[in-house]
Amino acid sequence: MSQLSPSLRWIAYASANLVIAFLVLPILAVIPTSFNQASFITVPPTAWSWRWYEAFFQDIEWQSALWVSIQIAVLATLIALAAGTPAAIGLQRLPPRLRAAMTGLFLAPMIVPVIVSAVAIYRTALDIGLNGTRIGMALSHAALALPFVVINIGIALRGVDSRWLQAAAGLGATPWTIFRTITLPNIVPGLVGGAVFAFITSFDEVVIAVFMAGYGAKTLPVKIWESIRLEFTPVVAVAATLMILLAGILFILARMIGTKRNGVTV
Amino acid sequence: MSGIGLPLRFDGATKRYDEMVALQPTDLSVEAGEFLTLLGPSGSGKTTLLNLIAGYAEPSGGSLWIGSRDVTRLAARHRNIGMVFQSYALFPHMTVAENVGYGLAVRRLPGAEIARRVEAALQLVELAGYGARPIQNLSGGQQQRVALARALVIEPDVLLMDEPLGALDRQLRRNVQLELRRLHEEHRRTTLYVTHDQEEALILSDRVAVMRNGRIEQIGKVADLYANPANSFVASFIGESNLLDAKLVSQEAGRALLEVPALRQQVAAPSPSPLASGQAVRLLIRPEHLFLDDAGPVQATVTEVVYLGELTALRLQLPAGEQLWLRQLTGRTVARGATIRVNWQDEHLRVVPEAR
Amino acid sequence: MRGDRLNALLLILPATAFLLLWFVVPLCRLLALAFTGEAGGFESLWTLLSSNVYQRVLGNTMIVAVIVTLLTLVLAWPVAYVLTRLKGIGFMLMLYGVLFPFWISVLVRTFSWMLLLERNGPINRFLMGLGVTDQPLALLFNETGVLIGMTHVLLPYAVLPLFSAMNRIDRRLLQASDGLGAAPLDTFRRVYLPLSLPGLFGGGTFVFLLCLGFFITPALLGGANAMTLSMLISSFVTDRLAWSLAAAGSIILLAIVLVLMGLAMRLLPLDKGMFAK
Repeated sequence: MSQLSPSLRWIAYASANLVIAFLVLPILAVIPTSFNQASFITVPPTAWSWRWYEAFFQDIEWQSALWVSIQIAVLATLIALAAGTPAAIGLQRLPPRLRAAMTGLFLAPMIVPVIVSAVAIYRTALDIGLNGTRIGMALSHAALALPFVVINIGIALRGVDSRWLQAAAGLGATPWTIFRTITLPNIVPGLVGGAVFAFITSFDEVVIAVFMAGYGAKTLPVKIWESIRLEFTPVVAVAATLMILLAGILFILARMIGTKRNGVTV
Repeated sequence: MSGIGLPLRFDGATKRYDEMVALQPTDLSVEAGEFLTLLGPSGSGKTTLLNLIAGYAEPSGGSLWIGSRDVTRLAARHRNIGMVFQSYALFPHMTVAENVGYGLAVRRLPGAEIARRVEAALQLVELAGYGARPIQNLSGGQQQRVALARALVIEPDVLLMDEPLGALDRQLRRNVQLELRRLHEEHRRTTLYVTHDQEEALILSDRVAVMRNGRIEQIGKVADLYANPANSFVASFIGESNLLDAKLVSQEAGRALLEVPALRQQVAAPSPSPLASGQAVRLLIRPEHLFLDDAGPVQATVTEVVYLGELTALRLQLPAGEQLWLRQLTGRTVARGATIRVNWQDEHLRVVPEAR
Repeated sequence: MRGDRLNALLLILPATAFLLLWFVVPLCRLLALAFTGEAGGFESLWTLLSSNVYQRVLGNTMIVAVIVTLLTLVLAWPVAYVLTRLKGIGFMLMLYGVLFPFWISVLVRTFSWMLLLERNGPINRFLMGLGVTDQPLALLFNETGVLIGMTHVLLPYAVLPLFSAMNRIDRRLLQASDGLGAAPLDTFRRVYLPLSLPGLFGGGTFVFLLCLGFFITPALLGGANAMTLSMLISSFVTDRLAWSLAAAGSIILLAIVLVLMGLAMRLLPLDKGMFAK
């Protein structure tokens, strides 16, 4: 077993590569489609053009959806970071039982099926008039992103030796100075990683968005969702390609941060 | 010496990883029933040698024989070798009995026989009745014994142990060492034992191979290695030693005349191995072979007095600047800073080549 | 140390308050609707559980979840295994192949499959070109499409726990088994497989739970022909404004998820150290 027999080895490697192809290639299939010239979707296109990109950037609705998405994602990221960073630090200092209970609460948005969270938040948002607002959407996405921030920073905090903090306190530093000079520099990768993942969580999110969007907070995924179900034009492929592009950039960014610390995070 | 194991032979076996030579071409013979210890600092090739025998690594050249069988290219599972790993490598999802009986189960022996032999093996390592316990519930010493029982129960032709006591505390180590010696004396199974602890090597072995830089520097009975080290590395690695720079003046019939600047005189010392003229040599004086003598040829200042129980060690500063350690029975008190004279018998000195 | 405790509570206060107000309270308010709605009492739950149509939806949800879980585990196995064997750039590339899809919106991934599985899409054309079939297969808007799409979306969730379990297996255990005379198949069956089981169960549970609540992919690839519980909940809200039924559906879904999770946590040694000091 320490040496798999050559034929089995070949089968394992071949099937692993096929599965990876199954994972990656279908995602990329949408990209050539966006350069289609025809007015309907064909894969792969027979003739190429930028025409649907022009259509995308001339259409006020698509543009506004993109812009709304970015605004909401930034806002959701800020909320998740502002709440999640102190929470991750606080969790470590709680007695074990309370820590377990609070960890459960902070991770709950990851555990509860999104459709349930979506319907629940939608109902309350309707009742208090936050439905169809950007702040309502950002709050909802922040709730979904919070677990990732808490986990990422929690992992980073494990690399902060409590003796460093004791040493700093012994040298006369105040708690705030200790945080600023010892803790913070050491958890920056976790912070950035959490922020990037919070952003993409919000930017990619559809389920809550479909319920909450109304007219005032129609994000790019909502616009795509509606287009798929109503018109199904090649512009959707352009929007999808743009989302892949942004995710790709953020993915590379996160990997660059990730390689600076050991361990693998999503 | 006859035992239940098989003899083992390396014919120029060597192991290279890319540019790095883990084991230089090595010839080595281990008799049936012999207990050979591989002693050396980490990175000296001990574990590589063991892995070659076990079949976890394949030699880059040369051949390897167990009994009359050429096992150079034989898969590990066909070699019938018992291995005790440094970290024990016990299967975490099995009980003690399942671990010990594993080698028998994969040989498709009947359950009743497995149970009988497992119980006998556990008895041998004094863990009778522990069979049903999960591995995680055992202490380090108990895990070590389970690993030993697992290796012994398949009645291996050769038993290999890779620093098996490294994780145990001092007191426990000593007990287990004596236990291992008893087991070996009863069964006399061919055993190769890796350690970097010379005391352990002294207690356990018939012979010791001192290794460095992927090469066996010297192999022999411990007393021989101590009395006649092949070079300055072996001299310093086994026992305490004073090694002084020296220049070869002349040699004849196992003796050499040396110019020793530190002693400010010429010394005639036994030289076990013939020396090439111009070879770099050192003079070895064991601390216990130096003694205080008012009529001694060399004057020194006592810079340190270390009480070791029955012995007392003195650190001496020679006029030329070198340091010497001297050990004597505790009794006569010597003050730090005192000026004394030391002496020795030429018979106890050794000329050793400088290790490359 | 009282001040320390107080400090810690202050630190977790913003997140706690935020989640209570914008997540826990809305959740409780929704679930309460199942009992306080038009019909009241347990009427909504009863309606949902006793109706043939809804029972079929529930059964369908379960079947899809089971099949997708099995498919992802089978596909995840070779990837996780090969990941433990690769080093350097090869390892990085394969790992990125697993991680990258996480970053792509489920919507985009599902949309891609809609293009590929279409009646005149590339997969049908490929199959017809091969002569496997002489007329296009119906791959979209039915169970087949849902299974393909969900397997694709959830596969990474199965690979990672499996990889981490396999990666933790000490290679010396395999060497020890080898040296004790075990044939490769024996070593696999008696040592490797049992030690990778936690990953298999962990990944399987994870995928199964995600399947149960999955919405986007079944809604787009399955449509009305392959209704799942999440689609039913959504249609109660958007099409029929039947809030108490939506609430009842949410209770059922949430209950199944929590019970399975509780069981899994009890049976599996999950990473408890994540927030330990």
